[in-house]
Amino acid sequence: MLKNYFKIAIAVLRRRKFFTVISLFGISFTLTILLVLTAFIDKVAGDNYPDRKRDRSLYITRMEEDGPGNMSSSALSFYFLNHYTSSLKIPVKIGISSGFNGTNTYVNNKKIAVNYKYTNADYWDILEYDFTEGKAFNKQQVDNAEKVAVISTDMKIAYFGDESSVVGKYIEADNVKYRVTGVVKNVPITSYTTYSDIYLPYTVSKTDYNDKGYRGGYTGILLANSKSELTKMHDEYEQMVQKLPMESKDFDHIYSHADPYITSYLDTGNENQSGVVYALTAIAIFVLLVMLLPTINLVNINVTRIMERSSEIGVRKAFGASSKTLVYQFIIENLILTILGGLIGVVLSIVILQVINGANLIANLELSLNFTVLLIGLLICLVFGLLSGVYPAWRMSKLNVVDALKAQ
Amino acid sequence: MFKHLFKLIWNKKKQNFLLISEILVSFLVIFSVFTLLVYYYQNYRKPMGIDYGNVWEVNYNNSFKTDNTDSLNLFYETLMQTLKSFPQIKSVSFTSFNTPFSQNHNTGGITVKNKKVDNTNWYTVDDNYQNVLNIELLEGRWFNKGDAVAKDKHIVINSDLKEKIFGNDNAIGEFIGDGDNKNKMQVIGVVNAIKTKGDFANTEPGLYNRTDTGSFRWLGKILVKVNTGEDAGFESQLYKILANYLKSSNVEIEHLVNKRKSANYFYLVPMIVLLIVAGFLIVNVALGLFGVLWYNINKRRGEIGLRRAIGASGKSVSAQLVSESMILATLSLIIGAFFAMQFPLLNVFDLPTSVYLTAIILSILFIYLLVFICSLYPGKQAAAIYPAVALHEE
Repeated sequence: MLKNYFKIAIAVLRRRKFFTVISLFGISFTLTILLVLTAFIDKVAGDNYPDRKRDRSLYITRMEEDGPGNMSSSALSFYFLNHYTSSLKIPVKIGISSGFNGTNTYVNNKKIAVNYKYTNADYWDILEYDFTEGKAFNKQQVDNAEKVAVISTDMKIAYFGDESSVVGKYIEADNVKYRVTGVVKNVPITSYTTYSDIYLPYTVSKTDYNDKGYRGGYTGILLANSKSELTKMHDEYEQMVQKLPMESKDFDHIYSHADPYITSYLDTGNENQSGVVYALTAIAIFVLLVMLLPTINLVNINVTRIMERSSEIGVRKAFGASSKTLVYQFIIENLILTILGGLIGVVLSIVILQVINGANLIANLELSLNFTVLLIGLLICLVFGLLSGVYPAWRMSKLNVVDALKAQ
Repeated sequence: MFKHLFKLIWNKKKQNFLLISEILVSFLVIFSVFTLLVYYYQNYRKPMGIDYGNVWEVNYNNSFKTDNTDSLNLFYETLMQTLKSFPQIKSVSFTSFNTPFSQNHNTGGITVKNKKVDNTNWYTVDDNYQNVLNIELLEGRWFNKGDAVAKDKHIVINSDLKEKIFGNDNAIGEFIGDGDNKNKMQVIGVVNAIKTKGDFANTEPGLYNRTDTGSFRWLGKILVKVNTGEDAGFESQLYKILANYLKSSNVEIEHLVNKRKSANYFYLVPMIVLLIVAGFLIVNVALGLFGVLWYNINKRRGEIGLRRAIGASGKSVSAQLVSESMILATLSLIIGAFFAMQFPLLNVFDLPTSVYLTAIILSILFIYLLVFICSLYPGKQAAAIYPAVALHEE
């Protein structure tokens, strides 16, 4: 039966080539836009370089102190993450790093903008950076405040040029000479918690990292033994925060959370509403808008095509086909059309993704189509096909047999 | 003629319902696109307010640690004199973190005549700030040394703030209170407003404070105006001097020109994405319209053939078809305009009414043009129908 539907569908599509082209164009372009968006989201949210242990990590990025007249929020201080957070029992390791800041270095009369970041030794144990050369600095080097650095591949090329090995060489940044211990694969800036050009031990920081205030410029990663301990680790941190003494009379409440990656990535600072809700709403509205016009378009075209086939429908009804059969047939024809358009859309998206990767709009962000993205694309196709096929099919099934046979 | 056309369309209202809704949705999409474009364009036309071409911004932190205010001031005054002694540097100014094109903002409220006015940008700057950025002075004067010992706190406001609280009245010499209405400040000058968020953003009300003896404890930015054509050679020299003098600080030098580009990206990127998506949607709609109209004409061959046989010219046949489509468009545009007019009436997003009205007019014109072009070819097809052939068919 399905084979017959398929043959009829192809015959109908070939009969009116212009309508077919319009429909395919609309579907494939909608799908391309949605696929590119999905690839982007998948990359930003799902790319787990370098934090491959993401499923058993929690991220602490912000602390907010509230008082009756004011509110203040920022990242946390090194002292807080080192002293208070290390009192927790469940985390196996705690990685502490600063947000990245900018400075300059001048090489051969050329200016290079450098982003630098301070980390502790455990940071490198939790995250799994790919080292093209050398290795990270260790705890001893951090404790001795040695002037060592891990640099990114882009930084190596910009500073040293074509050198094959730079481990042991000196790089000058922020008017200080650091010895390179390792070179890592680049991290795109969209992973802003792990991105930097130069990674330095926190002990060489010019800002006092022993400041006993709760807040500063550092963020923390808590690593648990296994995925099952995440909730307990989250709760343990919450309880610790609630027992904190207030820093000053101005504040009466302290908020800070250890959240999974996506929740902390989308954190907007709103304590009542998770940032995830905002992001999902924005995406949902965008998807709806992009799909709305092509759907109406397709419905329109389908309705007009049905009127064309009224005599065929009349004959089949006269022979005893039930409305249900006809509706079923038409929806399948529509699905075939949308899947065809979907295939074209997938090919188009691959081309466009190559173009976007080549244009290097965001450095080192490589978008690709993986299985999840394709699956979502297929789902969108099906939804599309159903949406645009239901109404015309219903209209068609309501046709009066006699009128249909008599009409032009 | 129109009554006749309206009747024709009304008879087939169910069939045309989908077409009307399609045009309505595309009108709303085009309306939002044009609103954004018109708003950006209006902002773009406004003058920037500063000369940013040769100005570099130095970021530093960990200010000189001392309890003695005099040595604190001496430390930074010495730095300023050192910098000014360079022939390549024209002017130097210390300022708070909310420099032009930066991501830092400091807003607060002020109280005027017991009314609180929110969302005013507070800047803390020194006497050279106006010179470094070449901000135009409209009334009164900028800060000078004498303001340090004045009885009341002297401030300079920008033209946006002046309009908001004084309108056309005189502002010089007037007093305004801060957010809690505890401290009174006296206005001594009015300067031109600056587009601090980039080319495509609006100017915002702003208020300038003068630095005082304690400010150096927390200030972290220096604006340096250099001669035209200074490149990385001098910049690395400057960098070394700053880094060696400010030993405990991380130093970064940025160019205002580049910061402006980054600030503009925030506005340009969403707009480009919106344009691409809207463009694709409109092409979709155009093709759909084209197809449906073409199909409708094929269905009405008998009717058209009859009209031609009676003596209608080809031109009048195509004119009729085009007018039918335009009337369809008008019907949906009336509904669309009703929804669109809610925006300026409800003052959504605080955008000026002129932006919305211009956007509505442009969108209406765009939709009419779109429908017109899409119905031209089918109309021509209809005019080419031979009466004899058309009437012969059955």
